[in-house]
Order: sequence, then C-alpha cells, then structure tokens
Amino acid sequence: MFISIDNVCFSYSNTKTAALDQFSMTIEKGEVISILGPSGSGKSTVLRLLAGLEKPEDGSFNIQETVIFNEKKFLQPEKRGIGMVFQDYALFPHMTVAENIMFGLFRFKKAAKQERLQEVLELVELEGFADRYPYQLSGGQQQRVAIARAIAPKPHLILLDEPFSNLDAELQGKIRKELRDILKKADITSVFVTHDENDAHAIADRIVKLKDGKIEVIGRPCDILNINRQAVVEAVALVEQRDMMSV
Amino acid sequence: MQRSLKNINVWTFSAVAIMALLFLPNLTIVGGIFTPTNDNWAHMKEHVLWSFVSTSLILVVATAVLTISIGLSLAWLIAQYQFPLRNFLKWALILPLSIPPFIGAYTYHGIVNYTGVIQTTLRDRFGMEVNPSHFDIMNLPGAIFIYTIFLYPYVYTITRIFLSQQSASLIETSRVLGKGPWGTFFRVVVPISRVSIIGGASLVVLEVLNDYGVVKYYGIQTFTTAIFQTWFGLGDIETSIKLAASLMGFVILVLMIEKLLRGRRQYSYSTTKVRPLPLIQLTGWKAAGATGFGLVIMSLGFFIPVIQLIDWTILTFGTIPMAEFMSYVRNSVTVAGIAATVIIAFALIVGNFGRLVHGKMAKLLPRLSILGYSIPGAVIAVAVVTAFIGLDRSLAPLYQALGFDTTLVLSVSLIMLISAYIIRFFAIGYNSIESGYDKIGTNFRDASRLLGMGITKTFFKVDVPMLKGAIISGFIIVFIDILKEIPLTLILRPFNFDTLSTKVFQYASDEKIMEASQASLLIIGISALSIIVFYKFIEKEPK
Amino acid sequence: MKKMLYAALVLMLLLLSACGNQEAGNESSEGDAPEDTESKEVNLYTARHYDVDDELYKKFEEETGIKVNLIKGEADELLERIKREGDATEADLFLTADAGRLFRAKDDGLFQAVSSDLLDEQIPENFQDTDQMWYGLTKRARVMVYNKETVTPEELSTYEALTEDKWNGRILIRGSENVYNQSLLASFIEIDGEEKAKEWAAGMVNNFARDPEGGDRDQAKAIAAGVGDIAIMNTYYLGQMLNSEDPEEVKVAENLGIFFPNQETTGTHVNVSGAGVVKSSKNKDNAIKLLEFLSAPEAQGTFAEANYEYPVNESVEATELLKSWGEFKEQDIPLSALGTNNSKAILIFNEVGWK
Repeated sequence: MFISIDNVCFSYSNTKTAALDQFSMTIEKGEVISILGPSGSGKSTVLRLLAGLEKPEDGSFNIQETVIFNEKKFLQPEKRGIGMVFQDYALFPHMTVAENIMFGLFRFKKAAKQERLQEVLELVELEGFADRYPYQLSGGQQQRVAIARAIAPKPHLILLDEPFSNLDAELQGKIRKELRDILKKADITSVFVTHDENDAHAIADRIVKLKDGKIEVIGRPCDILNINRQAVVEAVALVEQRDMMSV
Repeated sequence: MQRSLKNINVWTFSAVAIMALLFLPNLTIVGGIFTPTNDNWAHMKEHVLWSFVSTSLILVVATAVLTISIGLSLAWLIAQYQFPLRNFLKWALILPLSIPPFIGAYTYHGIVNYTGVIQTTLRDRFGMEVNPSHFDIMNLPGAIFIYTIFLYPYVYTITRIFLSQQSASLIETSRVLGKGPWGTFFRVVVPISRVSIIGGASLVVLEVLNDYGVVKYYGIQTFTTAIFQTWFGLGDIETSIKLAASLMGFVILVLMIEKLLRGRRQYSYSTTKVRPLPLIQLTGWKAAGATGFGLVIMSLGFFIPVIQLIDWTILTFGTIPMAEFMSYVRNSVTVAGIAATVIIAFALIVGNFGRLVHGKMAKLLPRLSILGYSIPGAVIAVAVVTAFIGLDRSLAPLYQALGFDTTLVLSVSLIMLISAYIIRFFAIGYNSIESGYDKIGTNFRDASRLLGMGITKTFFKVDVPMLKGAIISGFIIVFIDILKEIPLTLILRPFNFDTLSTKVFQYASDEKIMEASQASLLIIGISALSIIVFYKFIEKEPK
Repeated sequence: MKKMLYAALVLMLLLLSACGNQEAGNESSEGDAPEDTESKEVNLYTARHYDVDDELYKKFEEETGIKVNLIKGEADELLERIKREGDATEADLFLTADAGRLFRAKDDGLFQAVSSDLLDEQIPENFQDTDQMWYGLTKRARVMVYNKETVTPEELSTYEALTEDKWNGRILIRGSENVYNQSLLASFIEIDGEEKAKEWAAGMVNNFARDPEGGDRDQAKAIAAGVGDIAIMNTYYLGQMLNSEDPEEVKVAENLGIFFPNQETTGTHVNVSGAGVVKSSKNKDNAIKLLEFLSAPEAQGTFAEANYEYPVNESVEATELLKSWGEFKEQDIPLSALGTNNSKAILIFNEVGWK
C-alpha cells in the first residue's frame, strides 16, 4: 500500500455542512486516480487537503510510512513532496519556462538541475521553449509546462485540478492521451479531479465518484461508468484519428 | 514541520505587532467617544454642528461624484482608445496629485482674485471692470472644484490599472451584444470597476474630511472646523477629540457598508494570460474631444497652478532666504522615503498575513487602519505625542542605564515623526498592496509551496516580484502624500528640522502665498519626478 | 522568540533615536543637563513664522554664543505638545502671536515667573503679564481700511458704528476661526460686557458685504474689487501689501485709507506677540537672555522695519510708514482679558452666525 487516506473530514468555516465526509481510500504506486463529481461535490477539496492547502478536521494521510497528517501532526505543503498542477496552471509570469521548472529544484546541484530540466522538457516535448515566458505560450503548452514543473522535483504524488477545463474541445482529446502517456512514462502516482466522465474514463486506472462530500463508489472505469459504451468507443476512436492526423 | 510552524508564527507575530502599533494611537482617540459631554459639546450641537455636518456632506458627496466622473471617464478613455497625446496623458494625468490641495486653493484664488492675472489683464489691457463675485472661488463650489481637480487622480490611477487588467472579452462581449461605447461604459465598465472606484473615491473622501487648509482659507465651515474650533478656540481638546472620534465612527460605518456592498465577491484573476484590450483608434472630432478633455483636466489640475507658481517664484526670487533649501529638500525626501519604505514593508507583511490566515478579522483589521487617515492630522499628532511620551517615560530607566541625561529621547527624535507618518499613511500603502495581493490571488503562492518553498522564501521569490507594480505605485503615492503633509510634520518634528512642506506652511499661514511658491514648486517637482520615473520603469516591464 | 523580537525592536528604536537626535541638532546633547547655567543653547517653540525672526535668532547666536533651537508650529498644537511633555519638556521658551494663547499657557500652568530689570526697563508694564509669566514683544493694531473714493474718514468713528444701517452690505472681515477676530470680540466683551458684544457681532454679520472668506489681505483686495467699502485688518498686512513684489497689490494698498477707530472712546484694539519661559525650562537663563535680546532696541527696530509691527519698547522709534499712520490711542484693558474671554467670543460667533 503506497498511499492511505483514512476518514478525512472537512468543512469550510462559513458553512455548516461538511465539504468532505469520512473520505477514505488507498492508492497504489503509479496509479492514476480520477475523482469525479459535479461541482460542489467536494472533489477540489480532496485535492486541497492532500496538498496541504486546507487543514482537515479529522482523519489521517500517509505516503508510504510517512505521516502527512493525522490528529497530531500537520505537514506544511512545502514539506510533503506532493506536486500539483493548478486548473489555471499558475505559472509564475515573471519567470521563463526554465525558471518555472527549476523553481522546485533548489535542492539539486547545478548540473543536476540542468539535467532534470532537459529531462522533463523532453518528457513534455517542449525542448525549444526553455527561454520563453508563459504569456508567449499557447494554452496547451502552458499546461505541459505546469506538468513539467510539478513532476520535476520527483514528487511522490501529483495532483491535477481539472486539467482539461481550460483547453478547447479539440485539444482535449489529444491532451488526454498525452497526459496519460506522460504520467505513465514518468511512473508517477497521480490524482486528478474532473467533472467529465470522458476524461476520467480516458485516463484513470480507478475512479472515485463523489457526491455531496461522500464517496459514492470507487472502482475501475469500465465497472462504474454507466455512460453509453458506444459513445466512449467513438470518442476514443476520434481521439486516435485526430492524433494520427496531427502527427 | 517545526520550521514551517515557526514561519507562520513569525509572520503572525509581526503582523499583529505592526497592527497593534498602528492602532494604539488611534484607539486613544476612539476612546474619546466615551468622554462625557460638556457645555461646549452642547453648544456646538445646538448652534453649529448640523450646519457643519451638512456642509461636510455636500462637500464630500459632490467631490466624490465629480472625482469619480472625471477619474473614471479618463481611465476609460486611456484604457480603451488611441488618440493623440494618449501616451503622454496616461501618466501626466496623475500629476495633479503632486499639488497639495491647499496650495492649489491659494494659487487659484491668487489667479482669479482682484490682483490676479485674469482680472488685472481684463482691467489693464481691456479696461474692463468685472463683477468680482463672478470671480470668487472662495466658496463651497470653489472648494469642491479644488478638491476635485487635485484629488481625481486617486480614482483615475486605481481604475485605470484595474481596467487595463480586465480581459478584453468582457468588454468585447458587451459590444457584440449590441451595446455601443456609451452603453458598454455604463452597463459593463462602471459595474465591474465598482470596487476600484470605491477604493479610489474613499481615499478622496477621507482626504476631504481630514483636510483643514482649504476650507479654512475659503471660509467654509465643515466638521473639521468644529474640531479645530473647540480645540483652538475653546481650548477644549477633550471635546475636540470626541468630535474626531465621532468622525472616525462615521467612517467605520461607511467602511462596513462598503464591505457589505462588496460582499463576498472575488475580483482576483489568476490566469497567466489575460488578453489586454486592443486600443480603438479614435479619429476626427472624437479624437480631438478625447485629447481636449484630457488636456483641459491636465491644465486645470497641473499646468495652470504650476505656471502661476513659477510666475510668483520669479517675482519673489531673492526676497526670501534660500540658502537652506537644499537641506529642506534632503529632509523632506529622507523622512518621506524612510516612512514610505517602512509602510510598504509593513503593508506587505500584514497583507501576506491576511492571506495566510483565513478568517474575517485578518482581512478586516488592516482595513481599519484607514481610520488614521479619516481625521485631521493635528488630532492624530496629539495621540502620537501622548503615546511617545508615555513610551519614553516607561523607558526612562533604560535611558539612564545607557547614559542619556533626559527623559525624552524617542519623542524628540525623528522616530516620532516617522512613526506618525506610518500610522497615518499606512492605509494608503496597504490599499495598493492589498489590491496587488488580491490580483495575484493565492494560486501562485500555493504552487510555490507545493514545489517545496516555505512561506518566507515564497514571499521573496514569488510574491514580491509579482507585486512589483503594486509595491512601486504604493510607494510613490505614500511618498508624495508624506512630502506634502503639513500638520504632523509641524507638531512632531524635532528641533531645527524643516522640510519643504513646513516652509510652505510658514509662508502660506502668513498670507504670503508668493513667498511660499518656491517650496511648493520643489514639492511638486520632486513628486512629478517620482511619478515620471515610476512610469518609465513600468513601461520597461515585459508584458 | 517573542521576547527576543521585542528586545530587538526596543534596541533598534533606541539606536535610531540616538542617531536622530544627533542629526537634529548636534548641540542638544550637551545642553540637556538640568539647571546647567553654562549651557549654550535655548529651545524655542514658536508660533511666529517670520523670516525676520530667524535673522534675529541668528544675530542672538552670534552675540551670545547661545544656539537657538526651533520648532515652529501652530500655537495651540505647540501648547498641547508642551502640556503633554510635562516636566520632561525640552522647551524653554514659548512664543506666540496672540495674548489669548499666552494667557492660556499661563492658565494651564506652563509658564514660570521671571524677573529681569532689563525686561522691566524695555517692556512697559501693560505689555507684561501681571505675574511676569510672559512678556509682550510686538504690538499689532486691528484697524479699519476704507475705499478712499466711496468713504471719507469723517464718516468713520468706532467699531461699534459699523453696525449702523448705513454700512449695510459694505463691511468686509475674515472668518471667526481667526484668532485676531476672536481677540477683537474678546476685548469688546471685556469693555462692554457679553450682551453688548453679542449685539455688535450680530450687527456686523448683518452688514457683511459677503460671507467671510480668505485672510486679511483678501479683505483689502475685496475693497479694491468693489465688493465692500470698509475692511477690518491688522496694520502689518497693509504694510506688507504696500511693499509687495506684486505691483497690483501695491496699487490696491495705495488706494486704501487707514483709520484707527475708537480714538474718542475706548481706543483701537491691540494684540501682542509675546513669549513666556516654560515652567520646567532647563535653560532658563538663556531663555531670559533671549527675551531681553528680543525686546532690546535693535531687535525691536527690526520687527518694526521688516514686519511693520509696532515695537513695545518705547525707546524705539517707529518706522516711517508706521509714523505716517500716526499715533493712536490703544484699548486700555489687561491683555489677559483676551484670553479669558476667548471662549465666550467663539460661542457668540457661533450664536450670531459669524462664519
């Protein structure tokens, strides 16, 4: 068992109802988990709690043997070794692509830094873009920089918040596949949040369905998604077709 | 884990300490509300208070409406359109801020009065005797004009920055939906700019409320008059502080209403890419109108008074001692520079604390620091003197141990003056920094922390660079405000410490406005220079 | 952690203030010793802001080697500062341009009595405080100026006569926030009683040519502009206008007649600039020396010449300009009355609606 999350509860200070109620699950190394739910279901809260941006009221969270939080301990976000790709990417506008990516590599030696930079740039296929500023990139390129930045320090876990919401429909299919490839290639454990069953189906190893802050069901996409199978098949076919065209 | 917790503690501790320092003197004034009323209070209430209050209200409301109209329309023109001289007007329209309103008031009266250039020209050149009442500026409309023309830049700067950061799509959507430029302006631009309009206008309103120079000279009796009348005239400082405290209470009320109106709306953008507005080229009479409007405001708020001051400087050159002027410049720039730096540093700390701690108090408390800006400087000065003398007394044993042979150390040093500036102008700097923080939101900070940087490192590597614009513009506004500040400087300075503004006061208070023109021009010049340098700097920024 | 921070803060403040002190005046460090008769400085809080004063202080320094340290400000604010500083105050001498404020300082126990033969010789008794707490240094008379074309001096007599119907809409005077007006009304309260004084104020308001606005000079200009025919102003403002760098102002002033009212009755209203030694002064001797210097013929002459004020020292001759205005009879009331009646004056102004 790589990651275990037990009984995590949370509510925002200005509301009475729980945003997240007794959330528990385990995640294996290298797994891609999708948290699926309509807006307000608490799915973003899960990410913020895992990242350390909110403090839980109860519950515990361990990665391997390390306690990230429990009733006594709360590790600050910068100490968790967790990467995150924000919905709007949050690329530092005053830094170049390279500076953004190397931002988290301050513990690396200089040579190692450069090496890792080249590695991740290659991984996200942005080799020639190191000296660009974020505003000089397209939406899809920005997202890949954000992913590269998040995985560069080799986190145990990477969190992705609605990774496709800021992209136009045409790009979405292509990026879905790219993202899954990147995550798998980097052998990185990841949790991403989405409201779109197609996203979840296309990338996730397992899906957590959330409703009103409670887990409805956890399982493999094919087992729990009752969407029109035919539609999915067509969608996937479309993606592959586009991919071939774009190559 | 230990280190991170400690980090938060240092931030929390410093922020709370700063706010305590800022509030203590103000609190002594607020406490004044509870002093029992006396005969003077009853007299003020019976005879003059309501007429003073209604005059103040007229003054404040009219000035607010006019500064908003002028400030917002100019901001919109500059943000949306291209026309001749736009790039010059863009920054030049801020320049009126460099002229202290009471200097403007004296100068305009000097221009239009019987011996002023307008009437003398008509009389001597054209032999026209004019009805002097047509040229009387020393009345309520005159004061509204003065405040409007020298304070509108508060609204203009804040809304212009806001509008220039708006995504084009909002405005373009409105146009696509069939709204013309005017419709777009009133239906989209005005509502979305509401917060920045209120932000700018509240500075204007507070400045009008705390100013005494203009209304005193123009013979207009406002609430501030009541404060000074009870203090200077009746020698009753308790009632005077009680009046000031009531004014603070009123301002608190207004702030709360504003907070309610603003509600929970979030105005931050956090995307890296905000498509800027493409400028629409104006042509023909429209272009001429836009340029003309900008130039008229510019002339009224800057060129005309400055030319008059230059004329007076030439007229009186050599009649007043100028040997010490370099030291006045140095003193002015030094205290304003130190105080503005500290204010911005404090504002950054307190603002960051507001982001770290969820909860209403952390957001609301710093806003209360604006109270220091709502009442006349002289009253704040009394509170500061009292606080510092108290501090000195309690530190007296320490002084003795250190070998000082006097009780008053801090309160006869520049520290008292600089602290008073900080207390009074913190809100101005904080306004700018807070809107900067609002603008960048929390995602960049969170991203940085998830990449392993602690709060403090994040602050220096991410927050500060991203806030650069807000830091510099906040610094400049505070710097200029302190440069032209008079009441605090007068009362709280150490021996033999003169600044440009005390020099201006020295002559102007004795009705020697011509002799005051040299120092006034230097204040204006230094302020204008800092505005220009700031814009050159901002323009170089990539983006 | 917290303690350390606190300690660091205090230490920093101290260091800064030590530097600040040195910058503010190098001399101040030696002279602070209490009752040090050898001290070479005197600390002055002054509400007079004339360049000529600075020149006199400089001269004093040259003659005596005693350095004059200055804080210039508004009278009431400086008073408040002295009050709050209490015994620890650094101020030795408080100088202001209004007897009312001097009275208030005395009343608040901020002054100490000082005696000096030289002062008694140079300053007549009626310009000294009865308890020798303060001394007058210059006189300023509040007079009428009139439009030479529309008014003849024969028509003018007293302040009281200005309330007659004949002057309806012709009187110009500044606002009631001004201390000179407060003193004027305070003197009437002393002479005629509150009731009469109030009647006078109401009558004046009734005859105003316009709502009060501007300063004394502005009233003179309003006469030239034809807004009104008679203005009340202090003499030295007229002197300043006659010698202005602006030819237009000179022209205005030259067309004005000056009239000293109440010559047949109670005398023209006079106020003084004056100073008193602060109770806990640490340089008392130097403060007295400065007072003596300022009331000596030379300084008195300078006041008269540069600032068109009347000297209090009777051995000093008035300047040509002052002489041309002639001798006049002054109000014969104790100057402290201007202080005691000041609050009453304010209340009356408010009641009769004198803005």
